[in-house]
Amino acid sequence: MIGRFILRRVIIAFFQLLGVSLVVFFLIRLLPADPVAGLVGLNASEEAYKQAEQSLGLDKSIFEQLSVFLGFSEDPGLVDASLGISWVTNEPVFLEIGRFLPVTLELVTFSLLLSFLIAIPLGMASATKPGSIADKIALIWGMFAGAQPDYWWGLLFVFVFFFVLGVAPPPMGSIDPMMSRPSVITGFLTIDSILLGRFDVFVSVLYHLMLPVATLVFVISGAITKMVRQNMVRALASDYILYARANGLSKKEVGRYALRAALTPAVTLVGIFYMILLSAAVTVELVFSLSGIGQYAIRSILSFDYPAIQGVVLTVALLSLFIYLLLDIIHAYLDPRVQY
Amino acid sequence: MTIAESAPPRRRFARLDRFSGKKYLIFGGTIVALSIFLAAFGAAISPYDPMEATGDISVPPPPIEDWPRLFYLAVAGELEQPPHWFGTDQSGLDVFSRVISAPRADMSIALGGALISLFLGTFLGLIAGFYRNWATELMMRVSDVLQAFPVFITAMILVALAGRETGNLVLALALVYTPIFIRLTRSEVMGQSARGYVQAAWAVGNNGFKIAVKHVLPNSLVPSLVQLSVTVGFAIILTAGLSFVGAGVRPPTPEWGIMISIGAQQLILGEWWPSIFPGLAITITVFGYAIVGHAIEQKFREA
Repeated sequence: MIGRFILRRVIIAFFQLLGVSLVVFFLIRLLPADPVAGLVGLNASEEAYKQAEQSLGLDKSIFEQLSVFLGFSEDPGLVDASLGISWVTNEPVFLEIGRFLPVTLELVTFSLLLSFLIAIPLGMASATKPGSIADKIALIWGMFAGAQPDYWWGLLFVFVFFFVLGVAPPPMGSIDPMMSRPSVITGFLTIDSILLGRFDVFVSVLYHLMLPVATLVFVISGAITKMVRQNMVRALASDYILYARANGLSKKEVGRYALRAALTPAVTLVGIFYMILLSAAVTVELVFSLSGIGQYAIRSILSFDYPAIQGVVLTVALLSLFIYLLLDIIHAYLDPRVQY
Repeated sequence: MTIAESAPPRRRFARLDRFSGKKYLIFGGTIVALSIFLAAFGAAISPYDPMEATGDISVPPPPIEDWPRLFYLAVAGELEQPPHWFGTDQSGLDVFSRVISAPRADMSIALGGALISLFLGTFLGLIAGFYRNWATELMMRVSDVLQAFPVFITAMILVALAGRETGNLVLALALVYTPIFIRLTRSEVMGQSARGYVQAAWAVGNNGFKIAVKHVLPNSLVPSLVQLSVTVGFAIILTAGLSFVGAGVRPPTPEWGIMISIGAQQLILGEWWPSIFPGLAITITVFGYAIVGHAIEQKFREA
């Protein structure tokens, strides 16, 4: 049963990815940007311009370009998984994204975990004790929910914790610049430094992650608290909780039952929060000079690097489809009522 | 009297009611009205020209306890030049004038984008929910594909490649936010189409288009209207965010995101005022729209 469910979802996801790649391919080529002029400069001679256009393959018709992009011709394309060659750095986009993505995933995952650690107790306290201080905090914070200029909060945190209090590092990357970077194993600095036994690096990475993670937690946890609270209130108002109470279960036990029922539907929402954070990470990375996928996206978009742009969009779309699929499977396991 | 009305109010509705109170709506409504007022007249009432350097470079704002005295002196006309309420940035632009002039760019782009996506999304959603055939099914699949795009990156691509003009920003925002409205309206329309009054309208011989526009549409608007205020908030953040990363409105246009980005270079040296005040303006504005959305939702849930 579940095998068929997964198979169907994977097939749908494949067509969605194909759709995304076609849309992004035509979109960036139909918009009136001139990537060649950007690369050779505005004062370049006509021949230099023609030559650059030819080497980028932009002189071909759009359908020939499409066949290159999809990997039906000899040039490296989408299908051989190198995602094409970046026009700016001449490196395979696949390798570049492999270098930038872990930084972002590290940031977003830490932020999401920490947000849940804060939001679940707060949301529970708010739902079980209406009118308490926790309830008031949760409600007001929930109003701010999710819609905050994260880049601004990041700057505010830098000002307060770096300039005024001096407890945080300057917003200059994910590691102390004087420290030698550990060799790359997984690309995740925290994991690599532990694997290599470099605990000085590990501490430095956590130290530098402190403010960016705090920024994202601050921005997203209001929305998560609101969600936990709503689900919890709904669960507490349901008949089986009334029944549990009537049976004389202690408050703690009733709370535990309600929490389980409240969190199961929330599993699928984790994907949405992950995606919101991934979007927010673009600007937060810029504030803290972290070289993550967001910085890579900004760089490639502003320099009209088409293969890199396509690579970024496809990677993020693939990531989101994968996460939604994973969460749906977890949800199906947790909630026996779900039909495939 | 229906069953729903006669049932005792559930705990969660009773608790939320405290927040549907009028004072919240007044607070949020004031912010919304102020944002629109400043979009129209902000540049006209600002004490300095928001695009022209004043010659006072990096002046900090006056301490808060001096504000009443300064305000009195400024109104009485005893100052040679109006005070720099929020200080000036490193090129000598008056931060206060720029903060109150910025809504012209920010609000017109955000409101424009959100309203276009509301109209387009509601229209397409109505069609998709009312006429169920292969064409509308195809439209929903396309909308699914569009929703798999990362919002911020997509908007950045659209604006950077189409040219950083105001019109392109509005269109980019509209495109990014339309699928949400399609989905919301469609599911609401599908729910309404099965209701008795729609059946009755069919039975007396109305044509489909008339039923869709005159009967189903007005009853399917509430979720979209609530979503609109949320979307305006998101759109303000996105507009400012795009200029913050250098893919939005061009400097030196007064715009909150540009101001934050210009101020950011000086912030780690302790010059906080050029970027803190515009960010505060964004936060308050978005908060105001969120409250209004919340109030609309409460109002219609009670009814």
